[in-house]
Amino acid sequence: MTSNIDAVSALLAYTLHNAEVAFSKIPGSAVVVRYVKSSHQNDPGRTILELILAAFAIYTLLQSRTRAERNGKHFIQFTENEIDELVDEWTPEPLAAPLNAVEAADLAAVPVVVGHNGPKPTLVRQPTKIIANLASYNFTGLAGKDVIKERAIETLRKYGLGSCGPPGFYGTLDVHMALERDIADFLGAEAAIIYSQGFSTISSVIPAFCKRGDIIVADRGVNFAIQKGIQISRSTVRWYDHNDLKSLEDVLDSVEKERKKRRGPLTRRFIITEGIFEKDGVMIDLPKLIDIKFKKKYRLILDESISFGTVGRTGRGLTELYNVPAAKVDMLVGSMAIGLCAAGGFCAGSQTVVDHQQINGPSFVFSASMPALLAVSASEGIEILRSTPSILTRLQQNIRVARSILDELECITIPSHPASPIIHMYARKPTAAPGLLHPSSAAHVPASSKPSNPASVLPRDAATWDWDVDAEERMLQLVVEEALRRGVIITRAKRLRGQELVEARPSIRLALTSELTIDEVKKAVKIVAQALKEVLRK
Amino acid sequence: MAPIVDVKAAPLPFADVQPSPESEASSPAPLISEAEWQAKKQKLEKKIQKYRWGVGRGDEAAIIASMRDLAQGHADAAVQAHWNNRADLFARWPEFGKAWKNIAQGIWILITADARVVNGITPTATPALSLSSSMTCSSEDIVLHEDHMETDNSDGLALPPCAPTSSDVFTTVHTEFGHCSNPDYRYVSQHTPGTPVLAHVEQDPPYYILLSTYISYLILICLGHIRDFLGKRFHPSSYKHLMPSDGYAPLNSDFDSFYTRRLKTRMDECFSQPVTGVAGRTIQLLNRISPDYNHNQILTDERTRALNISSYNYLGFAQAQGGCADAVEAAIREHGISSCGTRLEGGTSDLHILAEALVARFVGMEDALISSMGFATNSAYIPALVGKGCLVISDEFNHASIRFGVRLSGAHVRMFKHNSMSSLERVLRDVISQGQPKTHRPWKKILVIVEGLFSMEGTLVDLPRLVQLKKRYKFALWVDEAHSIGALGPRGRGVTDYFGIPSGSIDLLMGTFTKSFGAAGGYIAGSKVLIDRLRVRGHSGPYAEAMTPPVLTQVIASMASIMGVSPAGCTNSNGSSSTINQVEPHDHAFRAPASALPSWLHLPSSLADGSEGLSRLRRLAFNSRYLHQGLNKLGFITYGHPASPIVPLLLFNPGKMNMFHWMMKDRKTPIIVVVVAYPATPLVTSRVRFCVSAAHTKEDIDTVLRACDEVGDVLDLKHGLRKSDRWTMDEISSRALELINM
Repeated sequence: MTSNIDAVSALLAYTLHNAEVAFSKIPGSAVVVRYVKSSHQNDPGRTILELILAAFAIYTLLQSRTRAERNGKHFIQFTENEIDELVDEWTPEPLAAPLNAVEAADLAAVPVVVGHNGPKPTLVRQPTKIIANLASYNFTGLAGKDVIKERAIETLRKYGLGSCGPPGFYGTLDVHMALERDIADFLGAEAAIIYSQGFSTISSVIPAFCKRGDIIVADRGVNFAIQKGIQISRSTVRWYDHNDLKSLEDVLDSVEKERKKRRGPLTRRFIITEGIFEKDGVMIDLPKLIDIKFKKKYRLILDESISFGTVGRTGRGLTELYNVPAAKVDMLVGSMAIGLCAAGGFCAGSQTVVDHQQINGPSFVFSASMPALLAVSASEGIEILRSTPSILTRLQQNIRVARSILDELECITIPSHPASPIIHMYARKPTAAPGLLHPSSAAHVPASSKPSNPASVLPRDAATWDWDVDAEERMLQLVVEEALRRGVIITRAKRLRGQELVEARPSIRLALTSELTIDEVKKAVKIVAQALKEVLRK
Repeated sequence: MAPIVDVKAAPLPFADVQPSPESEASSPAPLISEAEWQAKKQKLEKKIQKYRWGVGRGDEAAIIASMRDLAQGHADAAVQAHWNNRADLFARWPEFGKAWKNIAQGIWILITADARVVNGITPTATPALSLSSSMTCSSEDIVLHEDHMETDNSDGLALPPCAPTSSDVFTTVHTEFGHCSNPDYRYVSQHTPGTPVLAHVEQDPPYYILLSTYISYLILICLGHIRDFLGKRFHPSSYKHLMPSDGYAPLNSDFDSFYTRRLKTRMDECFSQPVTGVAGRTIQLLNRISPDYNHNQILTDERTRALNISSYNYLGFAQAQGGCADAVEAAIREHGISSCGTRLEGGTSDLHILAEALVARFVGMEDALISSMGFATNSAYIPALVGKGCLVISDEFNHASIRFGVRLSGAHVRMFKHNSMSSLERVLRDVISQGQPKTHRPWKKILVIVEGLFSMEGTLVDLPRLVQLKKRYKFALWVDEAHSIGALGPRGRGVTDYFGIPSGSIDLLMGTFTKSFGAAGGYIAGSKVLIDRLRVRGHSGPYAEAMTPPVLTQVIASMASIMGVSPAGCTNSNGSSSTINQVEPHDHAFRAPASALPSWLHLPSSLADGSEGLSRLRRLAFNSRYLHQGLNKLGFITYGHPASPIVPLLLFNPGKMNMFHWMMKDRKTPIIVVVVAYPATPLVTSRVRFCVSAAHTKEDIDTVLRACDEVGDVLDLKHGLRKSDRWTMDEISSRALELINM
């Protein structure tokens, strides 16, 4: 027994000795030994403390990050067999439910263009001749310009189609840089950056600048892309009533009050809104908005996807219409796909703003740059807009003609601005009082009512909304089909029901174009009016 | 492509025919002085060279006259015969053009024949004329029209190293898509059934490398902070944009931008290099200089052509000439540029329907949908499938677009170790048994998202094991094939094809057209139910612009040429009646039916029968494997699967990235590379990432290997194989076939 203990202690002593020798061979070990000895001599408690610290450090390092949840208090220990049983038991929901009849019919009713899309396209399975297309975005008729096609083909023969790389890795072509310059010059901004999809532009611009802790004050009616950008930015969001600058000021004041109360640090603050709202065609009062922004020291992110290329003398958008220098808008976002009939989107602003996005804009950095020929088409589109203001005059004329017919109608209400190239139409309920029709008519609401809660995206009058989304959509779809039967393509404004922050009221959306003559527009809009009357009377 | 003639070699044969000093003495006095003759000759040579590049076409008569003039001007009979020969050849140019029904092709044949004369080969019969004339070649394909096109081949990029033989007919521009007719330089990208899938191995460098890497970063960070500290005090104006001013918080705080300002700026010359032209086998760089340490980059007016081993051009479809580009041109004329709107609101065209059907057929799924941006395909469709109460299990190295989409969806996320199926299984057992956090309710859905081929690592997903796990744990599987589609598998159908696993065992296959197809945008393929749901619920349908007709056409044309097109009227069952040469793995079940193409789209026969597509797949597989094995044999540490066209080479030290980039670009044959570092990779494993293409020839890969070999020695990068196991560059080049079959 004792011999056993002796043997063990001998072995231990031997191992210890060996370890000591090995340790002393490490260069610098003597210093460590001296340090430990002297520190122990001075303060024995410290040695223990340091030992505990070292143990804690090792423990922390060994903790796997992905398995952290195992230590939560909600973790239940199962045996392997139990886990197997649970795995056998678990039945997931199907990844997606099949479409119901309405959804399937909707999908089947989507018009399919054969060949060239334009003012009078041919449709698949459509016996009647199309006399006007009021659904597609071709506001200034750039989609049919032969000059652009020729330039695109030239570019194809020099650059091929795809750029085969993200902008950071040999995907920046000279034509991209030229387009960026063209856009900046056209708007009068210092610089611009292009993204390869219009829709993804603003949902990438917002998180590039707005981070956790920053403050975003946004309109309640902003489009889906902005909503997603705001969601991904994780900033603090406050909402103001749709297109109500008074409400905006109130919200800005309340944010400032809140900050003062909490004595928070100065964070980045942004106002995010649209020039012409995609949702209902309402136009903002830009000069007033700019005043407010400067007064309250906010930065403005303005989405001009609809207004760029459609309003202003040469289509420069709201800044031209209101004669506000584009440089006063901090981030001006637009779409080349909508305004210039090419593809992609842009953000114009100061050089700092643009440089920042080149490293921080997710869909700029991680996506391939747009095909060269589309960039050149956009540049050419700008050139055409710049040199022929008559296109915009024709577009505005057509809008006026359309509005003069539609405004007469009893059965609908139109929230859109008279100059807006998209015209939204709601079915008017025969019983409803005019003031309750839509949040956009906020001016009609008595001023005495309580202001909406800025933290909630729903406005105060949300409870009074009494439209039946499904029934109205069905009804408006009938209008769309009736108009198509008579040769006019129109569309409902398609929405992701259940995914938008605020459910938009179902509407029919017309997109005017300069490519139709006044008589053609008259004829087409009259057909739409007729269809509306017939269907909505029922 | 063009001048198949080796210009570099051209002057050499003249050494024989040029009169030597002795013979000159004996021959009768020349009609004009020798110097004058030489000057004339040089002028003419230049003219012919330009003609090869397409300048001065239609001016053949002048060239012929000059040639005859030159012949008469010399006393030596051999020289006279030589020039008369060439003049005769040129005089036949209309004949060449007629035979080919295409002037450009004719001229190409002409200059090839001319090159033979120059090289002293007697043109017995004009070989090219006897070739099958079924070869159609539309457009002015073979001659480049670039005024600033370099007419010399000093960088070795413009022309193939050896003159082509008479049997070679190349329809591509060599600078876009390299000429390689050697059938040995082909390989089939396929997993050998029964063998284990190569796991992701991280080879460790020697400790001194790791240590010096950490120290480098430490020094960089310390220096950066010192500079910030001093700069803020002595040069506040340059920090103005980082400081609160006038009541505005800075757009970018000095802390957040530290990495960008102090580390990335040092190597900005490696990033965002502007280029022009086709991103094919070679690419033209717009040279730039920085007078102020990369704060500003100024473009000079010069350009450099460089070997491009960086673009995602796996199958070489980035081409300005050829069948696909012709199709795109036709599409622009037929359909215009824009599709004018969103898919659900008047932006859908018949091309969308055709392209979606073709994609579904290509990947072997019931249905597919197309989105106009690759990034948005992930970010806008993942939220349509999962949400609250659902769980996404994602590989730790998944692409930013997947993370973006998952964050938007609001689903819970768990990660597993890169490509480690055991780690995934642990996570799965954990989450299924525990259920949702706190409530312990079972998860509604579990979606596992992986990439087929990881863009920074070059690893291939362990699909066989993953599919087994899927059967056991019943999760839904989303495979992002952004890089693998077109690039892997014997038929180019991606990872499923590579492993021989039916596509149906995966729920959703997502991919992009940017890479292998030379287009833009992305797709998702799956069952009809799923895809219809995505059409209705995905963000892109109602809100994002539809893909444009030129891009759709490029997709259709390139995809159809990989698949091969069944001739009209020939159904899948009676494939044997086909007149087209049967290419073995291209059985009709996998071909595109002729009805899948728009009626106005006519592919050249080599594309339509799938032979060219097949050869591209084989070339890509060879090149990928060759570069991979070659770098390993040279002693470098590389990551990734040998079949992967993405080949990362590890550099480790941050300082070497700049140097590597610069040393590769500064060679006689400039090579451009992509260097990536933290945060795209872990801190220590900075790397250079090669993207191989079918457009590269074996000689191009040799060029890259040779360059790496030399640069690697200088920068001390060879930490892989032991010295005794390494091969020399010459060995690698000569034993290439042995190497790829290892």
